Amino acid sequence: MTKTRKWPPQLGLAIALAVLMAGLAAARPGFITLGNLVNLVRQISINGILAVGVTYVLLTGGVDLSLGSLVALTGVIAATFAHPGEYAVVVPVSAGIAAGALCGAINGVLVTRGRMAPFVVTLGMMTSARGLALLASGGRPVSNLSTAFTRIGSGDFAGIPAPTWILLAVAAASHVFLRNMRMGRHVYAVGGNESAARASGVHVNKVKMVCYTVCGAMAGLAGVVLASRITTGQPNAGIGYELDAIAAVVIGGTSLNGGTGGVSGTILGALLIGVINNGLDLLNVSSYYQQVIKGVIIVGAVWLDRSKKS
Amino acid sequence: MKRSSGPVAALALAGCLLQACSSSGSAKKGPVIGVSLLNVSNEFIVMINQAMDAKAKELGVQIIVNDAQRSADRQVEQVESFIAQKVDAIILNPCEVEASSPAVDKAIAAGIPIVNVNSETRSTPTAFVGSRDEEAARIAMEYIAKRLNGKGNVTMMQGFMGQAGQIKRDTGAREVLAKNPGLKLIAQQTAEWDRAKAMSLMENWIQSYGARINAVFAQNDEMAMGALIALEQARLKDKVIVVGVDAIADALAAVRDGRLDATVFQDARGQGAAAVETAVRIVRKQPYEKSVMIPFQLVTRDNVAQFH
Repeated sequence: MTKTRKWPPQLGLAIALAVLMAGLAAARPGFITLGNLVNLVRQISINGILAVGVTYVLLTGGVDLSLGSLVALTGVIAATFAHPGEYAVVVPVSAGIAAGALCGAINGVLVTRGRMAPFVVTLGMMTSARGLALLASGGRPVSNLSTAFTRIGSGDFAGIPAPTWILLAVAAASHVFLRNMRMGRHVYAVGGNESAARASGVHVNKVKMVCYTVCGAMAGLAGVVLASRITTGQPNAGIGYELDAIAAVVIGGTSLNGGTGGVSGTILGALLIGVINNGLDLLNVSSYYQQVIKGVIIVGAVWLDRSKKS
Repeated sequence: MKRSSGPVAALALAGCLLQACSSSGSAKKGPVIGVSLLNVSNEFIVMINQAMDAKAKELGVQIIVNDAQRSADRQVEQVESFIAQKVDAIILNPCEVEASSPAVDKAIAAGIPIVNVNSETRSTPTAFVGSRDEEAARIAMEYIAKRLNGKGNVTMMQGFMGQAGQIKRDTGAREVLAKNPGLKLIAQQTAEWDRAKAMSLMENWIQSYGARINAVFAQNDEMAMGALIALEQARLKDKVIVVGVDAIADALAAVRDGRLDATVFQDARGQGAAAVETAVRIVRKQPYEKSVMIPFQLVTRDNVAQFH
């Protein structure tokens, strides 16, 4: 409470991340090697893309629980169009993203026009999309995918994995959109105070529609990357992914009540979760302890961040 | 009866039953067995079902197959209606350990023999036909021990911690490790039966141990496939043996292509056939075994053609 100076956003989180990485580097020299850092940024890509998408929704004060199911559904749809010698690789990729965007738009319509709580709407979508994924695949993994498609998940450019480039692209675009575009600033306005935003002429429903649709599209993109990486469309993939994504956003400083936060924090949050997962595997910590430690570090990081800010 | 569709067929059947029930019953003479299956949209259960049909035909018995669609409640109702129909025996492919137990209790109380197939219930049936998960892991780990001549570094990918499958496969694998002191379990971690999680875990192990890993035992094929892809992308597959369990289609294809070293096949057809055979023996008052264990089979490139 003695600190009156305002800290730059996410400084506490950045410090926590640095301390954690230094500790891991000391405990396991293999942690800070080029190979493992490349490994780390590849592994956070899918959660990172999902987290960037759900940042939009959380900024409006909403939530999206359907992400994991959408990853499965869109992965299955993409894989269905990705068999060798059938379509150009752009077809499965677009199909996956479009399917995700469509489901996101349905969430958006139900939240705005249907005036239902986002928790309930997206819980329904979570259940239905999982069922659709099972229906679309007949309950079996969709395999035998073209190398052009699997290269999205396994390829690299300039030494950096392709999924990481995709994450960087969507994060940069989202950062610019949310900070510098009129619609992006309206997202914060809606989350900060919906009535005030409406009174000052913001199309609240339109803003929310955009956010849920973008979030769904990002889940579609993540589904495509996942299917490509594991070389199958898995109807049971992605269970619980929404929670890791939401955790990354909240660790990154975006309020669950909406209105404050942003994509840069989300990326730091995703990195923190990735470092924990990677580091605990490298240290060969037992599965039971891993879960406990993860929970403590997540809450600890948020606590550190908040206390530095106050 | 279950395959016929439309009211016409139903009417025709009803007519048949009214008119010729007694005559067909006395002409056939064979015992009637009621079967309640977990879920016939599951590939594995479909194979059990097919084997049962074939065996019933061979032994000259009639079987009535009901699909419980994963609902233990529905399963208990189905068994109740078998009891009401006074079938000679019941075969139960339980949905759940606890919730399907009343089906067993009711059949026993009604004096109708009941055979559990593939999985267990808390209540003890007249006989059980299935396989032991411990054995699958033992077979997989013994294959690794043989390939490494009893000496090397092994990692194990666990299933969802605390589930029966994970616990039993862990137990089986450790039995073999205990017998082979040269095999060192350098790392073990859960990947929750999931291919994507297994891939990340393998990538992390590669960072940690690199080529020091000689073999990976994954407690199911999904995880084995994840480990395999990660090793291939790190260009280490030729140095590391990967073995899974379940013989799913993807894994069999990978074994055929020489990518995956081995998987372990659970014999659905063997279980289905043995269940019918055991039920018929009980009905005909012939000697039978209370617990019939169908062996798992190791699948490698040498014998993969027998499996599909």
